[in-house]
Amino acid sequence: MRMSLPIGVFLAALLFAGGALRVDSQEKGLSVARVRHFSYPTFTRIVFEIETAAPYVLTRSGDGRSLVFAAYEGGLKAASPLPSINDGVVRTLELKQDDSKPYISIGLDEAAGDVKDFVLRSPDRIVLDVARGRAPEAPARPDASPSTVIVLDPGHGGKDAGIVTAQGQEKSRALEMALALRKLIKRKSPQLAVLLTREKDQTLALDERAAMVNAAGSSVFVCLHAAPGKDIRVFILEPDTEPAPRQTPAVQRDFLGFEAASEHQEALWGRQQAAHIAESGRLGRKIARLVTGTDNAEPIQAPLALLKAIDAPAVMVEIGMEQDRHKAMESLAKGIEQYARGIR
Amino acid sequence: MPEGLDRRISRPAGLALWVAVLLIVFAAAGLFFWSRMEPPLPSGQAAPQGAVLPPQAVRGDASVVVMLYYPARGGGLTADSLGVKRQFDAQSQAREALSALFGYQRAGQAAVIRDLRLRAFYLDPAGTAYVDLSPASEQRDVRGSAWEELMAIYAVVNTLTQNFEEIKEVRFLLDGREAQTLAGHIDASVFFSARPDLARQQ
Repeated sequence: MRMSLPIGVFLAALLFAGGALRVDSQEKGLSVARVRHFSYPTFTRIVFEIETAAPYVLTRSGDGRSLVFAAYEGGLKAASPLPSINDGVVRTLELKQDDSKPYISIGLDEAAGDVKDFVLRSPDRIVLDVARGRAPEAPARPDASPSTVIVLDPGHGGKDAGIVTAQGQEKSRALEMALALRKLIKRKSPQLAVLLTREKDQTLALDERAAMVNAAGSSVFVCLHAAPGKDIRVFILEPDTEPAPRQTPAVQRDFLGFEAASEHQEALWGRQQAAHIAESGRLGRKIARLVTGTDNAEPIQAPLALLKAIDAPAVMVEIGMEQDRHKAMESLAKGIEQYARGIR
Repeated sequence: MPEGLDRRISRPAGLALWVAVLLIVFAAAGLFFWSRMEPPLPSGQAAPQGAVLPPQAVRGDASVVVMLYYPARGGGLTADSLGVKRQFDAQSQAREALSALFGYQRAGQAAVIRDLRLRAFYLDPAGTAYVDLSPASEQRDVRGSAWEELMAIYAVVNTLTQNFEEIKEVRFLLDGREAQTLAGHIDASVFFSARPDLARQQ
């Protein structure tokens, strides 16, 4: 949802079919269990983990320096203290009271740009992405293409260790590989922007990763995992039997006439990859052939939960724990770099 | 002729004699056909790759033979034939086959399968099988790589779809509810149909 109007009142009617977020609950209002935040080069993400959900209102002040997040009807409760972010985009989150109605005031810095909000389920979350207005520019080169953004996703993390073998935990191995891969890609192609979904040991849900990748405007997405043994496998999303969405459906409006952006996003969520199946196949084939050293290697098609919501050519690479990591990362970097060169 | 035999045989005794003769004839015929029947496949015998066999009646009709698909050590799925208790409808028979899969030692060595147990099974009239799984242990997470998770899912899907023509597609539940994944990678919210291409290449 764009927040470019001076004073905009936007209502996200969270009318989930599953009934996870119900409006007709006896106790109206929002109950926020926890607030998390993530700072990325191009945006700051604020995640409200919701206990008791209801429609919410997001308003931007006239001077654009603050946001008001409140329940559409009833009160708003925050179970834990709200964080101070101070990352140059978002300053603080404070619980305030106005005419006996509590709300969360989100202080923005000058660099704050557009704000997008959407909801995620299982568990229920309301996510606000505040864009960094002045994103760092890519190093100037004749063939530079600042629009090419490679996002690497080290699988698992935090509470989710992934597989555990004699060689270690998958979450640590995946992060090591992603950091090494970023270094290799940047060394070969410094003009490419290479982002990681996590740079530390941190729990991230699949939907959160996908939302992060899409918000970053990813041109290529590579998810890194480890597996027992020596094999390297490259996966792409299995083409859906349902037809791919050809165009964005008309914007839905809620019962008050506001754009129900969350509902709109919800309808499309999980189908983003359908528009990139052919390109993902091309990327997967290139990488599979380079990492396996086999001329006719093909990526494995599978219904991967993460890839279906990625709005960019996307692959998952699973590298055996006993495999020569350095060699595998070099081949992978070469494949990504070659593919990125082709789309510039 | 001795005098005793010359006497007329009483009517009830004659009837009993006929019944006894008939029983002997049926028993002999039964024994003859029994001896000519094909012996059943021994339990655990590996079947040819990609073979699709319908559940077969075995001697005595007490059990049927099903193909159990499970992840092979070298990658891909392999299949063994196994006799399972005969049931009287497809849903019960498929549940029996799945119970056999989760109890089968070779399948139980595979990641993901070893961390799960069959909680419930339903088959709807449209041919969608609902496989409700739960973690085998509350202390242990269901763990496996993406490939291992894919193989575990298709071990179940192929076992059901390749043995029971009534089953067209398979849906997974975890503890009775829809789950995003079973072990973190594969989308468990979709309807799965058979993937014969995942059979081990030899």
